[in-house]
Amino acid sequence: MNGRAKPLFDSLQAAWLLLVLVLLYIPMISVALASLSNTRYMLFPHRTWTTDAYADALAGYTTGALHLTSLRIALLVVVISVVLASFGALAFARFDWRGRRAFQRFLVLPLFFPQPVLGLALLVYFTALGITPSWQTAAFAHLVWIVPVVTLVISIRLYNYDVLQEDAAFDLGATRLQVLREVTLPALAPGIVSGALFAFLLSWSNLPLSVFTSGADTTLPEWLYSRTATNYSPMVPAIAVIATAVSAMVVIAAALGLSLARGRDGAGTTS
Amino acid sequence: MRRPNPGILTMLPVLVFLLAGFVIPILVVALYSLMPPRTFDLAGSPTFTNYATAFADGYWRPLMWSALGAAATTLICLVLAWPTARALDRFAGRWATLVTLLIALPIFISESVRLFGLALFMMPGGGILAGSIDALFGVSIGTILYTRLAALLGLVYIHFPFVLFPLLLGVSLVPKDQVAAARDLGASGWQVFREIEAPLAAPGAAVGALLCFVLSLGANAEMNILGGQAVTVITNAIEQRFNYAQDWPLGAALTVLTVLLTAAVVFPVLRRIDVDSLARR
Repeated sequence: MNGRAKPLFDSLQAAWLLLVLVLLYIPMISVALASLSNTRYMLFPHRTWTTDAYADALAGYTTGALHLTSLRIALLVVVISVVLASFGALAFARFDWRGRRAFQRFLVLPLFFPQPVLGLALLVYFTALGITPSWQTAAFAHLVWIVPVVTLVISIRLYNYDVLQEDAAFDLGATRLQVLREVTLPALAPGIVSGALFAFLLSWSNLPLSVFTSGADTTLPEWLYSRTATNYSPMVPAIAVIATAVSAMVVIAAALGLSLARGRDGAGTTS
Repeated sequence: MRRPNPGILTMLPVLVFLLAGFVIPILVVALYSLMPPRTFDLAGSPTFTNYATAFADGYWRPLMWSALGAAATTLICLVLAWPTARALDRFAGRWATLVTLLIALPIFISESVRLFGLALFMMPGGGILAGSIDALFGVSIGTILYTRLAALLGLVYIHFPFVLFPLLLGVSLVPKDQVAAARDLGASGWQVFREIEAPLAAPGAAVGALLCFVLSLGANAEMNILGGQAVTVITNAIEQRFNYAQDWPLGAALTVLTVLLTAAVVFPVLRRIDVDSLARR
């Protein structure tokens, strides 16, 4: 082994990783710092450090309305994408069939597509169909991008799934529905939970699709986007922090729920 | 087979959805691009006028800026992601997992929050950076905010994880003993990179580069928040045609040109990559 230069090289590599992390988190730290002021102009370091902006944000009507719009879209996206993607993942990873390769390639195409261009194309499509853009059309646009992501997430779990379990169940006389309910779905469950989490977070934070397809409804990222240019006040970074905290809480709640469910499952199988 | 093949049945919902939400919309846009200028229905007789206008009116310019920006972003991200992937792989299993998680987290924070934060950081005068330096050292510094450089910085910032993670997958496939053996046989660092690491990490790097190029090709928030309209990118040009100029067919023609450019980059690479085996890892 090339042992001589290693300690120095190792610490260089560690320092590089630290630098990358610091650089990656600068914007988030900046937003948090900016929110702790009470002046309409950004003048850092602040004369007075205060959490007034958060009180204003929480008291304001806009904050709730924005969160509600984003939440509606995200929940709709989660439900529909998980249902579609669970089937899609079975076709992607579980079953062997002619045309599977072509399907796999077709499925990833929306991921390799510029999102704002997709948003604009969908806007034209909705208008041509006579549909007025609203939060529902924004959810549809999110789905075009998120269904492939969730399908991939669930598929990755499915690759480790032992097909023989199903055959065994069939041989023991189980019906198709029973096998789906008792064997396939429990195996899919962890993938479905991570898929739902991905769907929620990606929808919650999406800007490029919402901007063109949500019509008169405004999501959180859209509002922040429009406020970065005009009408700045410390409430803007404060709402950005609140919105990010909400998504973090969803992740934590899901992780807790999952570990609780796992604990119960583990107890169930051992007894 | 005792049952009809379930593969086809289970893929139908996704297939139908993607046809309705992805393929048909693109076809509708393609149809619009062939309609006479400034019309709003699909009943006109097909014409290529809009494509001629697109080139004559200099719309190749925003497309070129977008393509240049995307290429530069991809290159910079690859150069930055390579040592990062190597370092993460080197410390794999230890705290590298935590670092990897921390690098992935910002993907789930909205682009508008992150770009906004970058703008706040770079703001002149009372910005986070300029204000801190002024307060600490009494030196006032300029800013690159609202320039092309700032927009490029934003593009690199947003798309870095999309290059890093596929690349990390590729780098983790490079067998350590093979590198060690080459080293023992006297290979230089560059030789190890060229002969062993690069070919093995290539599929991961290709997927990452492809994702990065395509996503930055359509990016416009970076220009609007950080670039201060220093350049018009293709997405902004299309949006202007659709919304302000009310010239749908021209906007559609520009969209089709962007889609064609995307397809010309995506298809050759994607054809060579085995999606199945990549997802399997």
